[in-house]
Amino acid sequence: MTSSPSDTETQETEAQETPAEPEVHPLQAFADRVAEAVGGSAEIQFDTVKVKVAADDWVSAHQTARDQLDLVFFSWLSAIDWANDVASGDRLGEAVEERIELLTALSNVVDGNLVILSTDLAPQQPEIPSLVDVYAGANWHEREAYEMFGIQFDGHPNLIHLYLPDSFIGNPLRKSYPLLSREVKPWPGTVDVEAMPNANDADEPSTENPES
Amino acid sequence: MTIDSDAVRHLSEASVSVELQTEDMTLNIGPQHPSTHGVLRLVARVDGERCFDVHPVIGYMHRGYEKLSEVRTYPQITTIVNRIDWVSGYANEIPFITAAEKLMGLEVPERAQYIRLILTEMARIASHLIFNASYPLELGAATPLFFALRERERVLDLLESVTGGRFHPNFNRIGGVKPAYASGSTTRKLLQDLPAGFFAETRVAMDKVLEAVDELDALVADNEIIVARTKGVGVLPPEVAVAYGVSGPNLRASGVAFDLRKTEDYLPYDRFDFDVITGENGDCWDRWHVRLLEIKESVKIIRQAIDTIPSGDLQAKVPKVIKVPKGETYVRAENPKGEMGYYLVSDGGQGPYRLKIRSASFSNISILPWILEGILVPDIIAVMGSLDFVLGDVDR
Repeated sequence: MTSSPSDTETQETEAQETPAEPEVHPLQAFADRVAEAVGGSAEIQFDTVKVKVAADDWVSAHQTARDQLDLVFFSWLSAIDWANDVASGDRLGEAVEERIELLTALSNVVDGNLVILSTDLAPQQPEIPSLVDVYAGANWHEREAYEMFGIQFDGHPNLIHLYLPDSFIGNPLRKSYPLLSREVKPWPGTVDVEAMPNANDADEPSTENPES
Repeated sequence: MTIDSDAVRHLSEASVSVELQTEDMTLNIGPQHPSTHGVLRLVARVDGERCFDVHPVIGYMHRGYEKLSEVRTYPQITTIVNRIDWVSGYANEIPFITAAEKLMGLEVPERAQYIRLILTEMARIASHLIFNASYPLELGAATPLFFALRERERVLDLLESVTGGRFHPNFNRIGGVKPAYASGSTTRKLLQDLPAGFFAETRVAMDKVLEAVDELDALVADNEIIVARTKGVGVLPPEVAVAYGVSGPNLRASGVAFDLRKTEDYLPYDRFDFDVITGENGDCWDRWHVRLLEIKESVKIIRQAIDTIPSGDLQAKVPKVIKVPKGETYVRAENPKGEMGYYLVSDGGQGPYRLKIRSASFSNISILPWILEGILVPDIIAVMGSLDFVLGDVDR
């Protein structure tokens, strides 16, 4: 369903997931324009435009987006840890190429067109230049990604922990980081909860009216 | 003592500083301070009455919701996201539920969409009224608090009558909304909908809210002290605001007419007639006034919605065990505090593989070091209060 990462060819993959979709997605022209300007490959999934760029072009792509495409609104920056071994949560159904996918969401403030810029980083020692000089708002988001995923942002003015204490060790949003409460107590804790009467039909309310 | 670069930037103060041999002082504000809306700590360097190098210290409310979401099922996550911005808990659920529905390809019944829209606007009114209660209070005017909270209680009562909760409704279900409260397991099979008299009570409450808005306007706008403390204070230029991702009323107060209710299609806002309120100067006064006027627009939307709400189902047909197909999407919504969005990555299981929560207050207060640079110490509270943030929405 999803296209494999880092396609070298820029063939547009139309969202096939929704059959009712018209042939050309309304955002296709916008996606193509962004992809061409920043030199990446665009993909539209569920009305979300994602443009994949090379890590080397990370800062220049954002500069282009801001100056030429009018995507002046810096919404957020975050990452996804694509890992085959997980310490908590569900494993991926199919094995993936292990990587840290770094994402930013940029938008204009006129018609609300939004693009997700994405790049892949090596899971060990991920490192990338900082965006603080392009979007000042990237400052805190990069600090968050630094402590949660261990991404090193070169040139960041103040790359220290944002939420967690300075002495905290580890990157909690990495899939290899265990959720400690899950380790010490099994979930969902059925042992101390009594079963509800009529437990069979109590879990999901019916929307049917039997009297009609 | 040597003259440092900050002092040089402010020559007038620098000369005084050298003359009097004053030393910079580090001032710690918080984490427990009544005007911080939660627990926020500011570390500022103070030279006389001016402060420089303000470093907000956040994380006291960090609850790790993004990590928690990875081990929860989709229906369980709405309980978590309720608690992000607790002043408007209901509105937090909408973009998450919409994202999951988008991946599942569900068509939400129109009536459910209207109910969502009405309750979202009620949450906006409640949130803006809280701001209109607390902001004058932070500036020393206690009276508006009573006017605003009285009407907010009406709105919360309505929210409670539908959802059963004042702050954490947990009312949305994937595919629609939960049936009305008080429909326990025995009555559950009967027809379930909005409580009796909801529309009539809403009409009364909306009239009262409008009256309160006028009262607040007269109380605050005609108050010379408040005007003096807010006009021209904490000016936020639009180009700085967008670079920091400041959104919602804070962005509109800077003159940018950007409202996700007009540009996104997460709820049928395009069927209603309402205006996007903007300010002119982007100062504290405009941020206050934009929020006051937005209450009127929300009342306008609610009145139109209850006049035109269609009848029909409250829920689409969904399987008992909810599995969301593989895919990624980002859905954002105009929450009372600004843009709230969820980047949802699903692998086809019962819970998300990754859920990035974009909350409005986080970006809105990341502007603090910029906007508080060189400001007078008493103005810190005036500026911070005007940004209307909730620490639960900052730390997540």
